[in-house]
Amino acid sequence: MIRVSNLHKYYDNQPLFKGINLDIKKGEAVVLIGPSGSGKSTFLRCINGLEYFQEGEIDVDDIELHSINRLEPGKDDMEAIRKIRLKIGMVFQQFNLFPHMTVLENITEVPTRVLNTGKDKAVENATALLKRVNLEEKINSYPDELSGGEQQRVAIARALAMKPETMLFDEPTSSLDPEMVGEVLSVIKDLVEEGMTTLIATHEMGSAREVADRVVVFDKGDIIEIGSPEDIFTNPKAERTKTFLSRVLKQ
Amino acid sequence: MRKFATILLFIAVIAVISSLLGQQAWSSDGIEEIKKRGYLLWGSDAEGGAPYVFPDPKNPSRLIGFEVDLANAIAKELGIEARQLQNAWDSLIPALKRGDFDIAMNGIEITPQREGEVLFSKPYYIYTEQLVVRKNETRIKSIDDLKGKKVGTLSGAVAQDILMNIGGVDVKVYSGQVEPYEDLALGRLDAVLLDLPIAAYYAKPNPKLKYAGNPIGEGFYGIAIKKRDSELKNTIDEILIKLLKTGELEKIYRKWDLWDKTQEKLFQAIKDTGFVGLEESKKAPIYTFFPNLLKGAGITILISVSSMLLAVVLGLILALMKIYGRPPLSTAAAAYIEIYRGTPLLIQLYILYYGLPNIGISLNPITAAFIGLGMNYAAYEAELYRAGINAVPKGQMEAALSLGMPQSLAIKRIVMPQAVRTALPGVTNDFIALFKDSSLVSVIAMVELTKTYSILAATTLRFFELGLITAVLYFAMSYPLSLLAMRLEKKLKGSKR
Ligand SMILES: Nc1ncnc2c1ncn2[C@@H]1O[C@H](COP(=O)(O)OP(=O)(O)O)[C@@H](O)[C@H]1O
Ligand SMILES: [Mg+2]
Repeated sequence: MIRVSNLHKYYDNQPLFKGINLDIKKGEAVVLIGPSGSGKSTFLRCINGLEYFQEGEIDVDDIELHSINRLEPGKDDMEAIRKIRLKIGMVFQQFNLFPHMTVLENITEVPTRVLNTGKDKAVENATALLKRVNLEEKINSYPDELSGGEQQRVAIARALAMKPETMLFDEPTSSLDPEMVGEVLSVIKDLVEEGMTTLIATHEMGSAREVADRVVVFDKGDIIEIGSPEDIFTNPKAERTKTFLSRVLKQ
Repeated sequence: MRKFATILLFIAVIAVISSLLGQQAWSSDGIEEIKKRGYLLWGSDAEGGAPYVFPDPKNPSRLIGFEVDLANAIAKELGIEARQLQNAWDSLIPALKRGDFDIAMNGIEITPQREGEVLFSKPYYIYTEQLVVRKNETRIKSIDDLKGKKVGTLSGAVAQDILMNIGGVDVKVYSGQVEPYEDLALGRLDAVLLDLPIAAYYAKPNPKLKYAGNPIGEGFYGIAIKKRDSELKNTIDEILIKLLKTGELEKIYRKWDLWDKTQEKLFQAIKDTGFVGLEESKKAPIYTFFPNLLKGAGITILISVSSMLLAVVLGLILALMKIYGRPPLSTAAAAYIEIYRGTPLLIQLYILYYGLPNIGISLNPITAAFIGLGMNYAAYEAELYRAGINAVPKGQMEAALSLGMPQSLAIKRIVMPQAVRTALPGVTNDFIALFKDSSLVSVIAMVELTKTYSILAATTLRFFELGLITAVLYFAMSYPLSLLAMRLEKKLKGSKR
């Protein structure tokens, strides 16, 4: 489904990824863990073209995104990136809801303008999605009237409205007050159970263990270990994984 | 997109209207074309223009003066009518050369230097220069006593050359004929040297001032005509000779008490006949000035609104080019913004109006004003938008892109609505500033509100009352905008919507 091969990425001539590989199968839930600054966000952002990379290849359902050595991508690259983005939804740590639109408008804006979904149909879909994330009563609210947990659930509904095949979550609960983490996690868990292909970068080791089919451990731009949640959390092989886990689990 | 198109359409309509309006103020060549057009366009400066050309104190929307009568007489001989075009006195010759009007007639002295630039008709008036000093002055009795003294005169006038040639005189040059006498009365100058008709109207009635010595330096006023219009010059010469022979010219000068050129007789005449002068215009009820001032305000509104629209649209394009464009585009936008912000608006207007004709682009005044102000303010609006765009968190664009929006759609639907909210109070403030800056366009022959005021005030010397009324008019135009700005700011403060 998604194949990342030989990915090289530089930031200001500083190498971050020096040829990493990862295959994600359809319906799989993959959780990315690792110290902050290890490259989890950058990895996710390379997949949907928010970051360019210098060498390697990303293949999403036979849409190929090649290394982009130039500073700016060319027309073909832009075309590929756009197609990929229509297949992949993304949820950010900071929610990034559009503050000048209501919850409903946030969700219907892109389907009506990009997929040419009819207005009635888009509203119907949005209402169903809001029901699913338990926020029907907030349909006409503005983002600044919602709590963090509610905003993140709207952001998930907004991404789902584009009917993606894959969802990327970049630290979806890291800016939430602890009491709101649960409501967002349960929405993600439902998605995974329904069979959505999912990549989640997170600090939440408990939920990582709960939802993951596979856990990928990042360190300093390297994938140091890949395994089932059982293996990684109870029997990690790499020394650096052990140090990392002991540090986070102590907190 | 539809809104944008509407704005563009509006600007196009305004541009067309202004070029049509300007058309009227556009001279063509040759006597035949003038006759076909039906009116003779003559340039002069009505600001402080008595007794040459000035607003009738009893009915300020009408111009009077001996040159108005003369222009009408000439036009009548041609079987057409005369239309006056307002232009600053010291740029009458350049404006004539660039084709703003057919002839310039406004006490323009015939000098060898000017004869190099334009044709002159036969003289229509013999002028002299009169030295004026304060009543209590004892040291200065003639121009021989001027060394080391501060002496005022009119920019570009023959009197200026006379003063320069004496040597050692501290010559202060003015662009209006009222101000030198005011400064003399206030003690900022020691003397003023100007043409006798000016002195007779503006200095003689002033009890603080007196004449020093007899008039000097006889010379001729002539009608200035474009070099290529020799046919028009010959026709006007014939008409002038005819007017002289029939006594028509004498009649006009007698009406204005200018016929006898000796100073005693001119003084006597002004005193005896109750010359339409300062005393009378001081008595005119203030409402007689309203039509003129309101017309000026109308032009101020037309110029401000149209150029603000241009600034808002062009500024938006510049900001988008600068932020989202690639090097040739973004550098061009950045250069435009820096150049327009880093040079005075006045210079930009001069270049646009007087400079471009040198390379064959001649704009009429209202178009030049619209483009000049609009292009200048566009640079400031662009910076406001840029600040607004930069204030939108990066995550907004990323979220829009990740949802599958093309960048252009994301800019339009997600970034700009938020950026405009930030920029809006600044843009409204700029609109208010532009209202006031629009008075600068009077340097390119637009008679808007401030220019109307200064013409009327210089004639009547009612600087205070007219100034108050003018200020009230400006306030009435800008205060609603201030209210709007305040409401917007309040509305935007509470929420991000
Ligand atoms: N825009 C950027 N410019 C330069 N360096 C960056 C940029 N974004 C991330 N980095 C660097 O890349 C590394 C990986 O960052 P990131 O992918 O955000 O890690 P993580 O999500 O695992 O915390 C860090 O060292 C970070 O400083
Ligand atoms: Mg991160």
